[in-house]
Parts: sequence; C-alpha cells; structure tokens
Amino acid sequence: MKIVVTVKVVPDPNSTKRIDPNTKRLVRSGADNVINPYDEYALEAALQLKEKLGADTTISVVSMVPENSKEVVRKALAMGADDAVMLSDSAFEASDVWDTARVLAEAIRKHGFDLVICGGLSDDGSTGAVPGALAEHLGVPGLTNAKRVDVTDGKLKIQRETDSGYQVVSGPLPAMVSVTMGVGEPRYPSLKGIMGAKKKTIAMSSHAELGVTDALGAGSAKTELLDVKPPPERAKGQVVTATDGAEGAKIIFDFLQQKKLV
Amino acid sequence: MQQVIIFAEHQGGHTRKVTYELATEARRLADSLGGKAHAVALGGGAASLVEQLKRYPLDVIHVSEDPDVDKFLIDPVVDYVEALARSLGPSIVLIPNTMYGRDVAGRLAARLGAGLTSDVTDIKVENGKIDCISPKLGGAAITACTFKNAEYGVVTVRPNAFSVEASGGAAEVRQLEKPAGKTYRMVIEEDVEEGTGELGLEEAPAVVAGGRGLGGPEPFQTLLKPLADALAGAVGASRAAADAGWVPYSLQIGQTGKTVSPPLYIAVGISGAIQHKVGMRSAGTIVAINKDGGVPIGEFADLLVVGDLFAIVPELTKLVQAARAAHA
Repeated sequence: MKIVVTVKVVPDPNSTKRIDPNTKRLVRSGADNVINPYDEYALEAALQLKEKLGADTTISVVSMVPENSKEVVRKALAMGADDAVMLSDSAFEASDVWDTARVLAEAIRKHGFDLVICGGLSDDGSTGAVPGALAEHLGVPGLTNAKRVDVTDGKLKIQRETDSGYQVVSGPLPAMVSVTMGVGEPRYPSLKGIMGAKKKTIAMSSHAELGVTDALGAGSAKTELLDVKPPPERAKGQVVTATDGAEGAKIIFDFLQQKKLV
Repeated sequence: MQQVIIFAEHQGGHTRKVTYELATEARRLADSLGGKAHAVALGGGAASLVEQLKRYPLDVIHVSEDPDVDKFLIDPVVDYVEALARSLGPSIVLIPNTMYGRDVAGRLAARLGAGLTSDVTDIKVENGKIDCISPKLGGAAITACTFKNAEYGVVTVRPNAFSVEASGGAAEVRQLEKPAGKTYRMVIEEDVEEGTGELGLEEAPAVVAGGRGLGGPEPFQTLLKPLADALAGAVGASRAAADAGWVPYSLQIGQTGKTVSPPLYIAVGISGAIQHKVGMRSAGTIVAINKDGGVPIGEFADLLVVGDLFAIVPELTKLVQAARAAHA
C-alpha cells in the first residue's frame, strides 16, 4: 500500500514568538523551524500502519516548503518515512488554503497513493481546513480527526474523535485521513533511522514540474493578508497567598463577583 | 458577497451558544452587506433546532431532516450547504471553529472556490469589503484578512468571540431539497459516548482546567467537575495531565490541543508554560490556583491564589453553588 503523509514546516512552537509592531514581521529569538507537531502524529499513524501491513507498504512525505527546509524534512525520513517530495517554488509563497490544497493534491496525485494521512491542524496558520479541502481536490473520501486508523482487506476503518466520545467510520480506499493526538506519541528517530535518512531520496518539484499551469500564490489566492499586529499584552494580575481553603475560595469568589462572573 | 449563511452545528437538535453568536452576527453582517441572513440546519433533530433559531434575527432558516446526514460522514452536509450557497449566489458562510466546523469549512471552500478565513474573532465591513480579524501563531499575532478572486467567503468563527442577542426573530422556514445524484461512501457505523466533554470545551462559557498539580485522574472528577458544573462550564486539562493518561486528549488545551477563549478560565495546578498559554491566553478572565507563587501563569493571570488546591476548590465550589441557588 502506498501511503502519503503531508508535512508542513513551522516555527518551533516552543519558542516565544513576537510580532514587531513596526515591521509587522515575526521576530524569532533563535527559533528553528520544525515539523508541524500535528504532522508528527500523522507520520506516527503511518508508521504504525506500515508495521501492521508489512514491508510492501511505503510511506512518502509530501511537503510544500521553502528549499532551505531540507534538513527538517529529513527528520521525517529519520522517523521512518521511505522518501520525500519537496514542493519548493517562490510561486507557492503566500499560498492560502485554496492554493495549498490544490498544489498538494496535484503532487499527491502525480506521486500515486492509496491513503493520504494529514495532521489535523498546522501550528502556525491553524485553519484546520486543508485536510478537508485536500480530500475534495483529490476527489476521495476524507475521514477526519481519527484517533485510530485501521486498514483491513483494502477497507479503511477509523475511530473518529468527537466532543462526546468517538464514531466508528468506514470507507473505501483510496482515501484521505486526518489524525488527532489520540494515535499515540510520535516516535523519536533512532540513531539507525538518522543514519539511514541520509541515503533516502528527497525529490524536488517546482511549479512547472507539477503541471499546475494557472497562477498560484499571491496571484490566485482567495484571501489577502492586510495587517499583522501583536496581541494586546495581558498584564500581570494580583498574586495572593491563602492560608487555608476557605480563605482562598473567598478571595476567588469575591474576585469573580466583582467581575460579574458568578 | 451579499448573502450571509450560518451553519447551525448540532447534535440531535441540541446546539450551543456559538450558533446563536453566529445568528446574531449574521444579522449585523447581512445589514452591512445589503443581503439576507440565512441559517441551515441539517439532520435528525433539525426541526427542533429551528424552533430555537426562530428567536434570533434571521430572515430564512433552511432545514432538512434527511437521515443520510447522520448515516454518512460529512459529505451530505457539504452537499446541502454547497447547493444552498449556489442557489443564493455570492455569499459569506459562517461556521463555528470546532473540529466538525473546520472540516465542513475546508470542503465547502474547495467546492465553491471560496476564500477561507479561520478562527475569526471580529468581522469588519467597509464599502462591501469584508475584513476578518483572527489570532494566529498561537495568539502571538493578530491578523486582518480579506477575500479576493472569489464569489464566496467561508469563515470559521471562534466561539465566545461574538455577542448574542435574541430579538426580532421572524424567520421564514424553508425545506431544502435533497441534492440529486449523490452517493456516499463514508459510513458512520457506530457512535460511542465516552461521557467526556458533554459541553464542547471550545464553546464553554467557563473552563476549569487541571494540570500536573492534581496528581492523578480522580481529582478531575471529584474536584474540577463539580466546580465546572456549578459554573455551567467544562473541564479541561494541560498536556502534562493528558500525557499522564489522567484525561483523554480531547480535553487538552494548548499546543497540539484545543484553543479556548471562555469569559472565565480557572487553571488549577497548571504552571502555565508557553505550550499551555497559547491555548487560553485570549480568555476573558484568568484565575489560577497553585501551590507555587513563582509559576509562569502568575505573569498573565488576572488573579493567582497561592495555596492548597485540594482545600480551595471544594470551598469555592460551595460558594458558587450557593450563589447560583440564591440567584435561582
């Protein structure tokens, strides 16, 4: 079975990010780019499937990233993916959900797939809309928010997380699945994985090679970013020490009453 | 874009406050754009939801109780909303920014060739131009986005960001025709209730979240749940608590979890590292209870009470319960 995992590269979520109010650009204090944490869960789900289904299952990473992200993409190979395709082209800059989904769809279709696995969100843009849009552009069933993914006899079955529990949803292949953290903690690359990743192929693909002939990025995007501002800072509030439960409760209750919250 | 459509997410007719927030905002937007405010309610229980929606200032409520909506995953819903949008012409579709809503939004935008803005907390209209304000990068940036090259706009709206006004309801109710020639392949075989998150965490008016300081799974039930109930809110958790297996990941707030902005957030035994902060920093009021006065959450909470959470929370629950009883 041919599995494709979509991987985005984002600023390290554990870094403190700040918008410079004058330049309106992101100030990164020594922060590196990393694999979007949600996509690591997608990789983990793919690796678990491969363990179950056997060696004739392949995992390819498809990543729409700037050319200088090669070493970040290589981490996905070190985790256990077999190869990667990087979609890197200045024409892809300023792509919104619409462009991102159709460029990914074109590349994935070209590569061939039985199952596409996506993370549920990106840590930076956080639209959470690309998996659904990707399924539409690929014209395949999209089973979303899976906390468990099984393939038996060429049929897909997932446990789909809901607010009140989960749903069991089944569908045919080829298909797209997006996953939640419920699939399990992503594995760390082993030393062997890291060494092996150096020999794995990362293919590069540009706008022209993809065969997307119409305009992309800023020219075709259906949304336009007008302004970026830092958020209003939350001021440091009161810090009060309570000697017992009743006193602590009273302090909070009075505060809530004052704010008309109770 | 002139017409405004809200997608009324519900389960068996039960919906949440965000639906009414959308309905109220739809009226304001429709008036600014010179169009009408529409709502669409689909699936089992939709008819009873219509009765609720009628109290809000909508023009038309479109409804179908088609059983396919509950039998098959998402596709029937997208088909109905797409057909409605196409029949109304250029429009803006408001969808709650929930797990389900994001899914509907992505697909609908792909079908309609629509622009999509997400997690929107404010919408401004000037000379027909629609600006959507939303926090990005875990709240580190506030962006303004508009639509272009598109006849349709799809907007996922952050719960608790817009106000609710139940007035002027005189909506006409229309039955939707089933979109023709569709076959569905994603079958919902089973719906399993796990008894967690009865109220959607992202939409709860108050969130009581627990962290490492709770020491195990039991206090989430015995300590936090009664307080959350008294506040008509929901229980959440930090990543440490979810990683320890004390609560399901669906309750996790922060990076790789949920983003919430309730009017009231109570953090119990949570230190408030950046991974947690990004999921709750836009809450209205933040109260923290921690045994350590030096925790990071003290830097941005409106009130940090330093003390024994196991002693404070039950007393606080009693006070809130008593106040509610006196009020009722």
